[in-house]
Amino acid sequence: MNENTVNTINTEIAVLGAGPAGLAAAMSAKNNGAHVILIERENRLGGILKQCIHDGFGLVRYNEKLTGPEYALRDIKTIKSLNVPAFVNTFVLEVEKKENSFVLYCINEKGAYQIEAQALILATGCRERTDRQIFLHGERPAGIYTAGLAQHFVNIDGYLPGKEIVIIGSGDIGLIMARRLTLEGAHIVGVYEVKPEPSGLQRNIAQCLNDFSIPLHLSCTVKTVHGKNRIEGVTVVNVDESGKEIKGSEKYITCDCLILSVGLIPENEIAQSLNVSIDPDTKGPYVDQNMHTLVDGIFACGNSVHVHDLVDYVSESGTIAGESAVRWIRNKRKRNLIKFSHDNSVLYHIPQFVDFKSNNKIALYFRSKKTYSNTCSVNLIEKNSKTCLKKFKILRPSEMEKIVFDAQLQDNQNLMLQIEENYGNY
Amino acid sequence: MKTLTIKRKLESMGVHECSVVLTDQSICIAGIAESLATKNKAGWYAAKFHTNVVNNIITDKNMRNEDCEHEQAISNELEGLSYDVIIIGGGVIGCAVARELSKYEISVAVFEKEYDVAVHTSSRNDGMIHDGFAAKPGTKKAYYNVRGNRLWEPLARDLGIQFRRVGSLILFRTPLNTILYPILANRAKKNNVDGWELWSKEKVKKEEPYLLDEQFGGFYLPSAGIISPYRATVALAEHAVQNGVAVHLLTKVIGFEMHDGEIVRVKTNRGTLQAKLVINAAGNWADIVAELANDKYFSLHFRKGTDIIFDKNTGKWQNHVAAMPNFLQIAEKTKGGGLIPTIEGNILVGPTATEIAERVDYSTNQDDIKELEKHIRLNKKLNLNQVITYFSGVRACTYSEDFLIEKSKKIKNLIHVAGIQSPGLASAPAIAEDVVTMSLQILSSRKHILKKDNWNPVRNTYPDLQKLNFKERAEIINKNPGYGKIVCRCETVSEQEIRDALHSSLPVYTLDAIKRRIRPGAGRCHGGFCTPRVIEILAEETGKNFSDITKKGYGSNIVLQSLEDHASE
Ligand SMILES: Cc1cc2nc3c(=O)[nH]c(=O)nc-3n(C[C@H](O)[C@H](O)[C@H](O)COP(=O)(O)OP(=O)(O)OC[C@H]3O[C@@H](n4cnc5c(N)ncnc54)[C@H](O)[C@@H]3O)c2cc1C
Ligand SMILES: Cc1cc2nc3c(=O)[nH]c(=O)nc-3n(C[C@H](O)[C@H](O)[C@H](O)COP(=O)(O)OP(=O)(O)OC[C@H]3O[C@@H](n4cnc5c(N)ncnc54)[C@H](O)[C@@H]3O)c2cc1C
Repeated sequence: MNENTVNTINTEIAVLGAGPAGLAAAMSAKNNGAHVILIERENRLGGILKQCIHDGFGLVRYNEKLTGPEYALRDIKTIKSLNVPAFVNTFVLEVEKKENSFVLYCINEKGAYQIEAQALILATGCRERTDRQIFLHGERPAGIYTAGLAQHFVNIDGYLPGKEIVIIGSGDIGLIMARRLTLEGAHIVGVYEVKPEPSGLQRNIAQCLNDFSIPLHLSCTVKTVHGKNRIEGVTVVNVDESGKEIKGSEKYITCDCLILSVGLIPENEIAQSLNVSIDPDTKGPYVDQNMHTLVDGIFACGNSVHVHDLVDYVSESGTIAGESAVRWIRNKRKRNLIKFSHDNSVLYHIPQFVDFKSNNKIALYFRSKKTYSNTCSVNLIEKNSKTCLKKFKILRPSEMEKIVFDAQLQDNQNLMLQIEENYGNY
Repeated sequence: MKTLTIKRKLESMGVHECSVVLTDQSICIAGIAESLATKNKAGWYAAKFHTNVVNNIITDKNMRNEDCEHEQAISNELEGLSYDVIIIGGGVIGCAVARELSKYEISVAVFEKEYDVAVHTSSRNDGMIHDGFAAKPGTKKAYYNVRGNRLWEPLARDLGIQFRRVGSLILFRTPLNTILYPILANRAKKNNVDGWELWSKEKVKKEEPYLLDEQFGGFYLPSAGIISPYRATVALAEHAVQNGVAVHLLTKVIGFEMHDGEIVRVKTNRGTLQAKLVINAAGNWADIVAELANDKYFSLHFRKGTDIIFDKNTGKWQNHVAAMPNFLQIAEKTKGGGLIPTIEGNILVGPTATEIAERVDYSTNQDDIKELEKHIRLNKKLNLNQVITYFSGVRACTYSEDFLIEKSKKIKNLIHVAGIQSPGLASAPAIAEDVVTMSLQILSSRKHILKKDNWNPVRNTYPDLQKLNFKERAEIINKNPGYGKIVCRCETVSEQEIRDALHSSLPVYTLDAIKRRIRPGAGRCHGGFCTPRVIEILAEETGKNFSDITKKGYGSNIVLQSLEDHASE
């Protein structure tokens, strides 16, 4: 490679993505004494928080209600004071795995960089599911946007994407946008959710819909889009328990904009290019309790591992990834991984593996498969014992729960997570 | 006598108040039918008696009114201009003809009613440069397809677009199919196809490890290729413009002034112009254009097709075009379709084939997706979770199901290029050559025509960063930092490439036009991240407001109003 055109950089740890996960990872790696650099493809640090101008961030971490940008700014200030080099507007074209390192081929407007790092932390966040991924049909007019894109239009660019708006899906971003667009003078015709329960947080249903009298239609979805140039209306339809459309329940609704809030998908194209195994449940890499993926030297955190509903936990996972990465490059100890699985009462959980000679304190994050409205216990099943980790009054798939426990790992024995309903047991 | 028999037959099919007129020029059938299926059946039957069928049968479901998409674009800017040749339609056919005509010392214009070229069928297809096996021997389709297939490779090189001969594999679904080999080979030979091979089960397994296990070898056609159909059409148009052709967008031909059996003037929404020769390459509207010239001797019917596009990360699992047709049906109008690698590295699955009443209807529905599952299951790695998009296109077909490429018998200076259904893209360069020969014959009666000596065979292009290695990228960024600013993360498109497209010889300032040219928003996130930035660049380059930028021209604005304007309303 020609030295004049390509800049070569060596570092111990490279963090990909500078949202709250990447910022936390970079901070903790630096605080643990490593040389670290941060790479972000957008023009500013902060990730998705840049456009989340509503408050509610930081309740767990700071015991304060911050806006997204405020939350991010605290971390960005720390990163600056720690002198962590941050490359913004920098795009990673390819990552190559060498025997003891990773080479990142990056570009930005100043040139091309070949960055060699001993460990990699993936904090690449997630992207939104699109209308095509839910097989929305009908015509193809302008005016159909994902909630995050609509949020960008309103909060960053200062434009209204529509005035008479239908929202499909009850994810948190859609709920937040329902409120935001109402405040900007648009009319939200309704939120249509195909499932019998909303997928967003209860808090957002209350604060973003109910407080503004925005109707939420459950077991109902958009069947067809109408309009040639710009969207003119949609046909909505009710669905039965199995999700099948109920014939005859179709209704035409006039609108000039359709916003989708139908889920997020962890961004793992780089991870996949490095043969990092992906969990089909979370759509993110399998990790152990140290946020170490199944490829030695590659760590992952934040929404690229699984979609969080609270930024505080995103930061937490970044902190763990950062300190673990430093520990790993210092001793390169061979891991002793055991499988930590779940039965079908659990939608997904993190970590899916446990390195049983390492840290015994395990931060477990999980979502239940269905809503449990009776008291239930979350159990850890080992060889022939069952331990109740914690009891819950209610569990919902839309709310991620966290339990920290000490694992008494004696031998190479697989673990399993299970939710058990305790009928009549208050 | 003959007409009476035909009439009886049509009546027995369910056509009421039926009439049949058979002339040298065409067969014209009329009447009332209950359904589109009956109308089309009658049309296909009539085609047995004459290649040119005018089908005036009315069905319950009357066609939608022909709306002028761009009524707002009425102006006088073209009034009084004069061209030697006016080509109606900026699809792959019109653009290929324009480029071919640009080799001569004549003035040529393409009129396209939409905001860009390649808006209709030419951007809504499978991108396959077929080998020529599937077309019925002896048809124009077979003839032009094989010739076009040979021409595309050097043409793509000159245009600076990618073309790849991936080969096409027709899989056998039973061990018995193998005995069909001589029949298949014979058909390929009749059509002059460039090569064919019999592949064993093992060979298929080796070449395509992810195909289903229940295959029994196949018939392989190495000459099949792939191309980006919209890039190809845009490149043809750009190259034509670089060699002196005028492309008038948002310009719809609405009538002709005739004199002495000739078109003298062409009426458009932007004024009336003179023309010595008119070429009708109006795709799904070619019969309407013929009618405007009082020369309707063929009808079109419309066959919609839907395709699914899979994420780029599936591309590595499919190397060739592959399909498993039912050989019992192969003699019939085969639906065709299968798994097709795209030139950008995705897998495309499709198309379906459904007769529709409208000229265009690009809506999609779940039934078509369901139907395509039979192809999806051919590759063990594919599932619907990997789908990033799907779309429909509509083929314009004559009732004889062949291309119609000829000088009008009635109007001395009109050439029809109609019924260009599949494999129209594959055939385009060969069709263009023959249309130019016809054009020169007509024009040379009034003017001596020379070849241009300064014709540039190679299209001037901007750098294509996908082709550069890391070091070359570094160098180009050093020269122009805009190439280092990535706007579209899924397709790795830089800001400067977007600006380049807006400074090309055929710039079009809409989101979809940019997407067709260099793909921002064509990837897995579907523009979720890059749309605001692309709008900003469009606004900067045009001096317009953010809210004036559209997806696809008039009335398709992306955002409606700035928050301030709305608040002060
Ligand atoms: C719209 C929205 C509303 C929310 N509301 C709340 C709320 O009210 N309260 C709350 O507590 N939580 C909320 N959350 C959750 C929380 O804010 C997010 O989960 C959190 O921002 C995720 O952090 P992250 O760092 O994993 O990802 P992101 O913030 O998405 O950051 C990822 C970063 O990585 C960059 N990147 C990706 N790939 C690459 C690459 N290859 N090279 C370089 N850079 C790359 C991206 O550009 C991005 O900047 C909300 C989330 C969203 C999306
Ligand atoms: C689903 C599908 C898959 C296909 N796959 C393949 C394939 O893999 N390989 C292949 O070879 N072929 C394929 N085809 C066929 C191929 O796409 C067509 O043959 C080809 O695009 C036809 O080009 P065209 O220029 O004739 O028509 P078009 O692209 O439709 O162009 C005609 C143009 O004329 C314009 N026009 C009409 N009337 C007027 C007027 N009055 N004034 C001004 N402008 C006017 C229209 O706006 C239009 O842009 C496929 C078709 C479909 C539908």
